[in-house]
Amino acid sequence: MAGPSEFELLGRVTIGQYLPTGSRLHHLDPRIKLLMVVLMITAVIVSHSLVGLALLLAVVVAGLLSARIPLRFALAGLGPMLPFLLLLALLQVFAIPQYGAGATVIWQWSILKATDRSVLAGALLIARFTVMVLGISLFSFSTTTTELTHGVEHLLRPLQALGVPAHEFALVVNIAIRFLPILAEEAERLMKAQASRGADFGRGQRNFIARTRRLLPLLVPLFLVSLRRAEQLIEAMEARSYLGGKGRTHLISLRARPSDYVALVGVAGLAALVVQLSAANADAFAWHWLTDRLL
Amino acid sequence: MTAPVTPLIQVRALGHAYLRGTPLEVRSLDDVDLEVCAGDVVGIVGPTGSGKSTLLQHLNGLLPPQDGEVWVNGVALSDPAVDIRAIRQRVGLLFQSPEDQLFERYAGDDVAFGPRSLGLPAEEVRDRVRKALDDVGLPFAYKDRLIAELSEGQKRRLALAGVLAMEPQVLVLDEPTAGLDPQGRRELLGVLSGWCARDQRAIVLASHNMEDVTAVCTYVHVLVGGTVLLHGLPREVFQDADLLERYGLAIPAATETMHMLRERGFPVSTNVLFTDEAAREIEGLFGGRAI
Repeated sequence: MAGPSEFELLGRVTIGQYLPTGSRLHHLDPRIKLLMVVLMITAVIVSHSLVGLALLLAVVVAGLLSARIPLRFALAGLGPMLPFLLLLALLQVFAIPQYGAGATVIWQWSILKATDRSVLAGALLIARFTVMVLGISLFSFSTTTTELTHGVEHLLRPLQALGVPAHEFALVVNIAIRFLPILAEEAERLMKAQASRGADFGRGQRNFIARTRRLLPLLVPLFLVSLRRAEQLIEAMEARSYLGGKGRTHLISLRARPSDYVALVGVAGLAALVVQLSAANADAFAWHWLTDRLL
Repeated sequence: MTAPVTPLIQVRALGHAYLRGTPLEVRSLDDVDLEVCAGDVVGIVGPTGSGKSTLLQHLNGLLPPQDGEVWVNGVALSDPAVDIRAIRQRVGLLFQSPEDQLFERYAGDDVAFGPRSLGLPAEEVRDRVRKALDDVGLPFAYKDRLIAELSEGQKRRLALAGVLAMEPQVLVLDEPTAGLDPQGRRELLGVLSGWCARDQRAIVLASHNMEDVTAVCTYVHVLVGGTVLLHGLPREVFQDADLLERYGLAIPAATETMHMLRERGFPVSTNVLFTDEAAREIEGLFGGRAI
């Protein structure tokens, strides 16, 4: 059996796809889900506690399970980012001098040294990215782009008084997301056409410059095609009398139910707990507890 | 009469699914058999989404076979050690609306893309560009034209020249005449039959246009939902008008006219593909008399 084709650009990127399994998570109000994602990301960024991040990870995995999304499918989204992530983590561990002062050196070789603090920083980086990618994947797996757009528009509406163009902003988000797979498809078609004429896009190619040079003949037609698509889209919208957000109503009006608020309060509580955990130095406590028992 | 020939391309029990192994899996080909011999012009017809393009992409190894096997000149494409660039040189593939994919400024450079990526010397590249432009009926002087200045029909022929410059033995085309005016369509079909008539070559083309199929194809496969519903000589396949119409497929206008006359009780043959044949049948109704 053959592996995925060398030309499948989006086939390997699972993040951003919608999986209609019809679970309860899918039916939550998109505004609530957006707020939940914002809260979760805030907690991830603020927290510097491994225990807190592990807690968040557990909740996200529980969310994936209850949304009936195969874990392997969700984890596949992490795959393409892994090399960059590991590189960043290595830089954190070995090359950032700010963790050197006042920390215990664990390992040293000429100018490279790892301290307890830098190892913790590397671990935190990986944990943060994992939680974030899985959390955002969970959101995208369970939310259609239409729901996302409505949610963004509704949440930004209070800011309209300050001159924020909520509807236009939501529309831009929607179009950008809608165009991603179209552009990927187009790029795939171009790569295949050029491969049919002897171009070599093989994954075996390790020479970075040669690989980048091969992409140049793709960019010109890709730009032309996207400009043409954009023009067609404008015409199609104007043909249907699109005039912007003023006086526009929606087919589906969003209404948050009690269960939505319960979920929101739950996630808010979790975020507060995670932030609290890192403030209370929970990692040190957990570390002592573990070493006391095991050693 | 003729000695048994080894097919240029052979497809056996081919199956394919997009996004295989994910919850979004879509089955697009199932148990497809196909054979292409020298001199053949094989037509693939079928409604949108029937798997035509997927099948075509297997013929030059753009998609590796998931189930079943594809052989090109006896070489199995599922073998990981296969020289895929040699296969793609031998089987040239032209996508739908190929004029969107031209990327150079000058026409000649675009045609030269293939020969250059084969690493041929400049003299040979020039030679191939000359021959390919000649094959598609464009003068050699067009190599110095700006692509933006060419007409749509010329751009399509230029894109075809880009594939012919690889000197393939089999040419695979996806909807080659879509969007062309009748004049451009006739010219392109003329170029294709002229090219195929020489040197043991063959063509596989997918099309919605039944007139294209009857004009050039020697054999037809009807693809529906990823499987071959019917195959045979064009005359045989288009006899089954009811079945084809049930799957939303048209039959050539001349054949359809004969079917309608027959339904209304006129004793005409439905074994008709072209308008001149149809005219002869109708003349027969009037006893061969001119009116």
